[in-house]
Amino acid sequence: MKILVCAKQVPEVTNVQVDPETGTLNRDGVASILNPFCEYAMDLALEMKEAEPEGEVEIVVLSMGPPQARAALLRCLEMGGDSAILVTDRKFAGADTWATALTICKIIEKLDGVDLILVGKHAIDGDTAQTGPMLAELLSIPQITYGVGLEMDEKKKRVRVRRENEGGFEKVQMRLPGLVSVSKGAASRRVCSFESILGARAKDISVMTADDLGLDEAELGLQGSLTQVVKVFPPISKEAGRIVNGTDANAAAHEVVGILKEKHFV
Amino acid sequence: MNEITCQALPEVDFASVRRIDGLDEISANYAPYLADESKLAHQGADYLFFPTNEAELAAIMREMNKRGANVTISGARTGLVGGCVPAGGAVVAMDRFDKTMDIRWDDETNEWRVTAEAAVTLKDLNDWANKKNFPGLQARASDETLAQLEQYKNDPRSFFYPPDPTEMSASLGGTVATNASGAASYKYKDTRNWIRRLHVILASGEMLDIPRGKYFATDERKFTIIDTAGNRTTLNLPGYDMPKTKNTAGFFAAPGMDMIDLFIGSEGLFGVVSQIEVALDQMHDGISVVQFLPSDTAALDFVVALREEADFAPDFLEFYDGNALALLRAKQIDNPKFIDMPPIPADAGAAIFYDIGFNPDDPDPDFSKLKEVTARCGSSLANTWAGYERRDLARFRHFRHALPESVNAVIGERKKTYPGLHKLGTDLAVPNKALREIWGFYRSKLDTAGLEWVAFGHIGDNHFHVNILPKDMDDLAKGLAIYVDFAKKAVELGGTVSAEHGVGKMKKKFLSVMYTPEQMDEMKALKLALDPKAMFNPGDILDFEGAAR
Repeated sequence: MKILVCAKQVPEVTNVQVDPETGTLNRDGVASILNPFCEYAMDLALEMKEAEPEGEVEIVVLSMGPPQARAALLRCLEMGGDSAILVTDRKFAGADTWATALTICKIIEKLDGVDLILVGKHAIDGDTAQTGPMLAELLSIPQITYGVGLEMDEKKKRVRVRRENEGGFEKVQMRLPGLVSVSKGAASRRVCSFESILGARAKDISVMTADDLGLDEAELGLQGSLTQVVKVFPPISKEAGRIVNGTDANAAAHEVVGILKEKHFV
Repeated sequence: MNEITCQALPEVDFASVRRIDGLDEISANYAPYLADESKLAHQGADYLFFPTNEAELAAIMREMNKRGANVTISGARTGLVGGCVPAGGAVVAMDRFDKTMDIRWDDETNEWRVTAEAAVTLKDLNDWANKKNFPGLQARASDETLAQLEQYKNDPRSFFYPPDPTEMSASLGGTVATNASGAASYKYKDTRNWIRRLHVILASGEMLDIPRGKYFATDERKFTIIDTAGNRTTLNLPGYDMPKTKNTAGFFAAPGMDMIDLFIGSEGLFGVVSQIEVALDQMHDGISVVQFLPSDTAALDFVVALREEADFAPDFLEFYDGNALALLRAKQIDNPKFIDMPPIPADAGAAIFYDIGFNPDDPDPDFSKLKEVTARCGSSLANTWAGYERRDLARFRHFRHALPESVNAVIGERKKTYPGLHKLGTDLAVPNKALREIWGFYRSKLDTAGLEWVAFGHIGDNHFHVNILPKDMDDLAKGLAIYVDFAKKAVELGGTVSAEHGVGKMKKKFLSVMYTPEQMDEMKALKLALDPKAMFNPGDILDFEGAAR
């Protein structure tokens, strides 16, 4: 069985500042990491691999990005992925979710026998959560979103997915091949062993470029994108509220009324 | 040169220094200044000062000296031995000494140096050095410093300040006073190794400006201090030999020693450190590894093998004995998020946590020697946790904190039944050759006594923190008696009674295990030569006759 995990490299966004003047991200000193939700997708893939006899499950990891996205793939190989594909070309620059999904779709069509595609539910930089579902539609395969647990049926023809919904969880079954977008659930990040970190350096990371896809250049990157980012700006922060302290309810009520009057609410 | 001349600071009106009067007001609104991490009870304070510069600090010293009042220096109050806890008199809060003053490249030593005031924290200094942005420095700096700052920003390398006593909210001044060390001292040595210049305000209100490498003791262990009026004071250094381990017990003393080393680690008994020049070191890529091993014996073998055979130097080597792992396993079940790590392997009987250099871009890193050593000690590199990304390093660092915090939580719970209960944590270190012997001694004593205990800490420096967790007051009494035995054994093996926490008020009783009455008298005489009224930090390290002393 072959599982393909799609992985994205993202800036460690808790540390990114937006320049209010230019609207650009200030990435000085900001580390690039494997998107945490892609890491949870890897985690589910590894759980499946560990549950099956050795050699039954092969995990291939794919990332589309600049050459330095290799580091995110390396991380997946350290976790236990078997091989990786880096999809990189200047022609892919500026791709939106549509152009990205189309590019990845063409790559997958060229791979042999992918049974299950796992993607993070969204990337923590763009937050769109669109690429995974678009990819499933382009490949005309079923998809389940917000997955937090996976179970293979005995015949290896279907997968049962525990997925988050607004009220809690539900279990949904899907025939293979199919795609699952993965949420965090109760997972805490895996820790690699030193041996797997060293071993990952001997694993294969192949590179694919625009020439390998057979797509028209107009369908790639910025040119092939249906949407454009017009402006990036930090969310407007709210002012801190006022807290009326004290145990005297009468006095507190008077103070609240005073504030409301002052603001012309009453 | 063994003679140094004091400098006068500009006269400032004492009354203009910000001051809080009276214990009632201090207790009500400034209570944190009456305590530190030792949780030791204070003995009152009459004044709390907030000086903003060296001249104000000097004015306080002159006035307190005249009034015969004690002065306790309050840094970041992260100490564990009560050094900042006042015993009457004045508390001088150094909070406002929070600026960087200078940065420069030193051609002779090929290193960047930063001059900062005493209250700058290790965290801030490292953040600023890493981001190459020292808040406010541009506004204060001379043209020469600005040019150096620009050069620093353009240096493509990254730098940091290596001393890391785990508590990065510690102040630079406090870490100089205590010669702080911590895990990374295995590779980077203690604070002393990184200090290049000090400003020290004496009890007289005059200042010593002491660069490293200028003033050296005579072979007879003497220095001379000349005050601004020309009066000469001879300092006779104690005649003892320092232990060949990490050490914070007793004043640093050696023939021909550098004067700056006398003040580093003196716990503020000679004067107030106001300004410090430190050296930075270049950052390197590294990997954190927790190596699980079958037993504590295997862990000790692993440490010895790494020290003696390995072709690489870990930044630190930290030990977790089987009891420590058991406590962490229980905590993992109780609150998995607190530990934030996968389950500790069931068959692990001990662990060694270390950081080593690692280049993630190296396609074929060679750790064959490490593999061989690990296999010989009954484990493998598969039986590890490892990570090298910045977020991983932070996660591993958090893990390192988890054990002492778990110990504190256990004690906190037991204190509800026995309010007088407290943990007993050792801070003893021995030379390399005594590692196995001291560990065997600890184990047999603790197990014979039937006490609950965990051991962890800086095994690279043969510096375990054995934490006894008494279940009741009887256990506490047993533990206290054992602690004294441990201290005696460590000294017998050529070690120290205080490797990194200092002596302060809480470990004074162990000093007499390590030093003879004559040596203690030598220390007292040295203290009184520099501080004739024993004004600074009363109750710390040494006891003096007289009220409130």
